[in-house]
Amino acid sequence: MKVVTGVVGNDIHVVANRLIELSLNARGFEVFNLGVNTYLEEFFDAAVETGAEILLISSLNGEAEGWSREVKLLKSKYKTLDNLVMVIGGNLVVGTASAETIVPKYKKYGFDLVFHQVDLNTGLDTLEEYLKERNN
Amino acid sequence: MKEVNEKLLIDVGSTYFKVSTASSIEQHLRDFNKDILDDLTYKCGEIIHGYDKDDIYICSSANGGLSTLIIGITNSFSLKYATNIAFNSGINIIDKVLYQNIEDYSVPSDLIDVVIVVGGINSSSNIFGEPLFSYLEKLNYSNIVYVGSEEEAPRLQATIQNLVVLPNVIDNKLHIIEEHLKEYLTNLYQLDIVGKEDIKNLYTITSNQIYPTPYIVNKTLPFIDTKFAVVNPFILIDIGGATTDIHYSKDLVDENIVTVNEYDRLVFKKLGVYKSKESLIFTAKNNEFVYELLTYLKVTENIFEEQSEKALKVLMQLAIFLVLCKMSHYKQAYINLKLLSINSIVLTGGITKVLADTEVEDIISFFYKKILNSSHNPSVVMDHDYDIWTLGITNNKG
Repeated sequence: MKVVTGVVGNDIHVVANRLIELSLNARGFEVFNLGVNTYLEEFFDAAVETGAEILLISSLNGEAEGWSREVKLLKSKYKTLDNLVMVIGGNLVVGTASAETIVPKYKKYGFDLVFHQVDLNTGLDTLEEYLKERNN
Repeated sequence: MKEVNEKLLIDVGSTYFKVSTASSIEQHLRDFNKDILDDLTYKCGEIIHGYDKDDIYICSSANGGLSTLIIGITNSFSLKYATNIAFNSGINIIDKVLYQNIEDYSVPSDLIDVVIVVGGINSSSNIFGEPLFSYLEKLNYSNIVYVGSEEEAPRLQATIQNLVVLPNVIDNKLHIIEEHLKEYLTNLYQLDIVGKEDIKNLYTITSNQIYPTPYIVNKTLPFIDTKFAVVNPFILIDIGGATTDIHYSKDLVDENIVTVNEYDRLVFKKLGVYKSKESLIFTAKNNEFVYELLTYLKVTENIFEEQSEKALKVLMQLAIFLVLCKMSHYKQAYINLKLLSINSIVLTGGITKVLADTEVEDIISFFYKKILNSSHNPSVVMDHDYDIWTLGITNNKG
């Protein structure tokens, strides 16, 4: 299964990005890593070019919140991405807030799975379970 | 091997032609009532007859290049990569269609020299379908090339007549692969030249291949420091009669395009001081800073109506200002350059015969102060003797 991943906005946390790529590869995903400093349009465009089923955006400096507000609107402009599984993870807020507050907010922005300060492997386990259920 | 100084170099532009020997460079305004060869031999016949066909090298941008229409599936990858390759192959006229909205685009009525269809990495499939075929049916084109996903190629080849299939321009890491499409477009340009009577006749005085001028200039840039004190990163501006070309160091863009080329090219097809004069003035009048610039140059907008050396100088100064604006974040273009990182601005072409170094420096510092709010001052290098072009044409071994 193809996954497009990268770090959104003006965020250069490259180590986490590399770890995500390695972990996804180890689980058998075909990974297209756009790296750090990636804009939303590039994520969606990469999903179109690769035919990816999953878009996994990461963010560590909390900047994702600003960018994520645009997700629904931008995605709606693409005619072939209706079935794209949208995942976001990392530290999704500037300052502190609980997952109970953050998760519903990001789901409203258009994400199917939201991992705020969740361990990487736990997050990827959840993703795999989600995909299994979705395909049944 | 013969030395450079035994060669005669000729550049045929949309407005001027230049003839360079070891001892001199001549520039002549073209007579548009005459065939290019007749005009050339009338004005420079004596020089030309002194050289063997093997020693005459010609490049040309006079035929306007190929008109190109690119159909791609995203702005960030397929359309951007194909556009980049086309510009670097010397093509000036490029229209783009985003495939998912293809039904919303009007079909150009003019004949398109080459249509480029691109999209998807090699493992992607079911990308193109009926909307592409029905668009192409309505389109009037001479050549069509496919440089997208391998998976799609057999289906497209079965449906689209005379489709040339080349390796994908996007690799499996979403990086650009230039060489195949670039070679195809450059060869097509040669065929186009051969097909155009005016240029074709030039083969009676040369036995060497005639290349597009921008292609020659682009090939020179890695060696530019052999002739000039240019500090990287730099941009090169070539303001012509019909178009303005910018060649820029790759360091100046935050782009996802990673290639072996160190320099890319960008064309503003409606910015020129002769053939495109009207559109240059139109663009100028729509720029909110231009009136301030005119005041700074101590002229009024009446200068646009004048036919004088002063008016030509102002037009060229405006062209410099407008292209810098178009490449800055002030105006969103195909790419935006990191103009605050530029160390040198090189100017070549007719502009170096018209403007003094200080007149160029004035405009550049006005641009940086006004638009970028900065006192950054890149050094200005003027290619007064067309060294960039002569270096390129003599180094080019095809």
